[in-house]
Amino acid sequence: MEIRALKIEGLTVFYGKRCALQNITLEVPRGLVMALIGPNGAGKSTLIRASSGILPLQSGKIRTNGDEFSSLTPIERARVLAVVPQAVALPPAFTAWETVLMGRTPYLNFLGQTSKTDEDIVRHALQRVNALELADRRVGELSGGEQQRILLARALAQATPILLLDEPTAHLDLQYQVALMQTICQLAHEDHLAVMIAMHDLNLAARYADSVALLVQGRLEAVGSPAEVLTPERISQAYHLPVQVVPHPFQQVPLILPGG
Amino acid sequence: MFRKSIVLLISVSLLLAACAPSANPTSVPTATEAPATEAVTSVPTIIEVPAKPIKLTDGLGRSIELPGSAQHIVSLTPATTEILFAIGAGAKVVGRDTFSDYPPEASSVTDIGGSMGKYNTEAIVNLKPDLVIAGGINPPELVASLESLGLKVYFLANPTTMEELYTSIKTVGSLTGDESGADNVVASMDAKAKEVDAKLAAITEKPMVYYELDATPFTAGPGTFIDLLITRAGGTNFGAKMDSAWAQISLEQLLLADPAFIILGDSAYGESPATVSARPGWDALTAVKNKMIFPFDDNLVSRPGPRLVDGLEALARLIHPEAFK
Amino acid sequence: MPKRFLPYMTNLGLLLAAVILSLAIGSVFISPGELWQILHSWLTHSPLPTGLETFSFIISDIRLPRTVLVLLTGAALGGSGTAYQGLFRNPLADPYLIGVASGAGLGAVLAMSIHWPYSFWGLLVVPMSAFLFAMVTVLLVYSVARVGQSVPITNLILSGVAFSAFATALTSYMIISSQGEVRRALGWLMGGASQNSWQAVLAILPYLIIGLGFLLMNGHALNLLQFGDDQAQQMGLPVLRKKTLLLLAASLATAAAVSFSGIIGFIGLIIPHVMRMWWGADYRRLLPLSIIAGGVFLILADILARTMMRPQELPVGIVTALAGAPFFLWVLRRAKNQGYW
Repeated sequence: MEIRALKIEGLTVFYGKRCALQNITLEVPRGLVMALIGPNGAGKSTLIRASSGILPLQSGKIRTNGDEFSSLTPIERARVLAVVPQAVALPPAFTAWETVLMGRTPYLNFLGQTSKTDEDIVRHALQRVNALELADRRVGELSGGEQQRILLARALAQATPILLLDEPTAHLDLQYQVALMQTICQLAHEDHLAVMIAMHDLNLAARYADSVALLVQGRLEAVGSPAEVLTPERISQAYHLPVQVVPHPFQQVPLILPGG
Repeated sequence: MFRKSIVLLISVSLLLAACAPSANPTSVPTATEAPATEAVTSVPTIIEVPAKPIKLTDGLGRSIELPGSAQHIVSLTPATTEILFAIGAGAKVVGRDTFSDYPPEASSVTDIGGSMGKYNTEAIVNLKPDLVIAGGINPPELVASLESLGLKVYFLANPTTMEELYTSIKTVGSLTGDESGADNVVASMDAKAKEVDAKLAAITEKPMVYYELDATPFTAGPGTFIDLLITRAGGTNFGAKMDSAWAQISLEQLLLADPAFIILGDSAYGESPATVSARPGWDALTAVKNKMIFPFDDNLVSRPGPRLVDGLEALARLIHPEAFK
Repeated sequence: MPKRFLPYMTNLGLLLAAVILSLAIGSVFISPGELWQILHSWLTHSPLPTGLETFSFIISDIRLPRTVLVLLTGAALGGSGTAYQGLFRNPLADPYLIGVASGAGLGAVLAMSIHWPYSFWGLLVVPMSAFLFAMVTVLLVYSVARVGQSVPITNLILSGVAFSAFATALTSYMIISSQGEVRRALGWLMGGASQNSWQAVLAILPYLIIGLGFLLMNGHALNLLQFGDDQAQQMGLPVLRKKTLLLLAASLATAAAVSFSGIIGFIGLIIPHVMRMWWGADYRRLLPLSIIAGGVFLILADILARTMMRPQELPVGIVTALAGAPFFLWVLRRAKNQGYW
């Protein structure tokens, strides 16, 4: 089976003189959810952005499906990698439907005309995230959770094998956090997407991710299964906070508790 | 939304229909004669003169040809209007710009616009003139757009000396067939100017004169007619040492020069001896202390026309009243 | 007729009405019936009914070129205003934001300070100079604002403000120290078609076709840009290239329009908002509708400019501001959707 995936090799990114990411090497195969965790400022968002090709790289390569990402045109890139950003400052006047339709851009002709196929895909994407009834509502009227689902639907409409998410649970209520993570797991496991998701909630990461990558100050401290990475020593050191890691009461995953 | 569009469309159609009576303006003369509302001082007798073609070079360097002397003239500047009426061609003026207010007969001629540089080209075309005379203040674009409508335009450049002004007047006379009228005007202007010269022959000093064009303050600089006339009227123009023709000056400069006379060319815009005296710091000027501030009709010195010599005389009487006793 | 054609039909209907009104109104009222007769005789090369010959000349040589020029100018300003608002994601953006107006003004006044020979080219110097300086200003503003691979919006605005202030100051200085070109310069700066000829129409038409044509084809790109540069790029838009080209296209159309008609404000700012309020924020629709509506609005303003104080003619820039402000306030109050932006 051909593993078509996202390979990040030796990625280094500078913001001015400051090194934001140093020599990051990661691989996200299809069918897998990788959680990027780390304290604020560690570089999680930067890694997401750099992987999507919108930041200049000091050094390193990104490979998607074996191709060098930088050699692809913007349209080609958009067909292979989609990003779900945080739901902030979205244009309020577009409806949810119109917003999700934007995700079809890489497949439209130069005038931006959509076909029935595009509309079917949009409808399907909205159903997937349980937001079809929001289709005609203006995005500005939607709640944070609803907006985030719309953005996920948009990325789905882009129909890419690789999906990157930048802290999608950041401002969501608990039920939305869980619903979102469950949907993402489905997408990875059932639709065989390669999913990399930056998140700050360690327990959510432990519960839903297949693989966890810990970023601290731009460096990749550890990558592996949740149990491997989420050890008390590592977490305490990374977050400057003593933590305890206990087995989760009903799931086979670690549970991180602050306080030593 | 649908209803709104229908309402919009209906309103605009109604507006269109309703415009019919209200948009009807002054009646359009369908024949080529002058409008009946024009009141002329003398009825022109129709003399059958054999049409002689006229060929002159205008102020833009173009050669203008007329099959005969112009009989239906549109004047775009007040100075030209004054010249036309002075030389006896007033009856031939079928249209004039808004600011043509002299002589009084000009007011009854059709107004064809001209404020803020915008002339009513349709009105000009409707008058069917055989000649349009443009002046120095009209830009070349205006001349071009009038010509593109099939009108013949003669550009009368601004004269800078009395001799050039006399030539301008004679040129207008040639265009309208009123050469003798033009010669008369020039002769009488010249005579009057020389009369003033004679009266001023014995003066011993040339007091400094500050001629105010605008309350900012602006004065007339070197090379202007005002400068020329003040000098000829026996004064020294304060503005002569400025760099440009329309010169902004400061109170400081005035204080240093301390002119003997303040002449208010902007009295038509509300400036008066009272307002000038009230300006902060101006009471230090000798002219203000001695109450030598005089309102003045700027049109007498800024329009390059027949009344320029009247302006000369008026200035001379102000500056050297003793010469006119 | 499908519901989605309604906005276009409405705008085109208004345009037709405005054009008829503009051709009908003037020193003499020519009724739509007479207009039709004149048009008919032109099309069929048949002789005119008696009494209509003068009218025919007035229409063909005075009113029609003026109406077309005004229509094109308004269309350019409406279209580029929409594009600018989309590019800058700012409801206060207008076509003059990054220096077209100030550059054009400087170019025009510079050209007016020199006495050109009275010839075909001599008469074109002022508009050509206006156009040239407008485009040069935009390019300068753009290159100063550019940072590596991106052109941040804030940089563009700041750079535009700086260059505009500089150009305007230079222009004011030139006007004040001029020898009497003040009237001509101010008349140009306040706007209003002074060269109402077919020549002017032909001169600006290519630039409008290129500029507005490009904008019309990129409505989707403008939609994408509303999500920010990052998201637009992630969805497949070559952001830097598109923004640059859109900026150039909009500036081209504006510069062409301004070069003959002077600075006419308000249209580029207000028309996109009105269209957005009425018909929604999708730029694929907004652009053509704003182009048509801009033409309609300027035609109506021009009619007012030449009839309000007959026989005086106001500079149309004054009319657009005077008439446009209350109109916009009325629309604003009636807009039901708060989130129309």
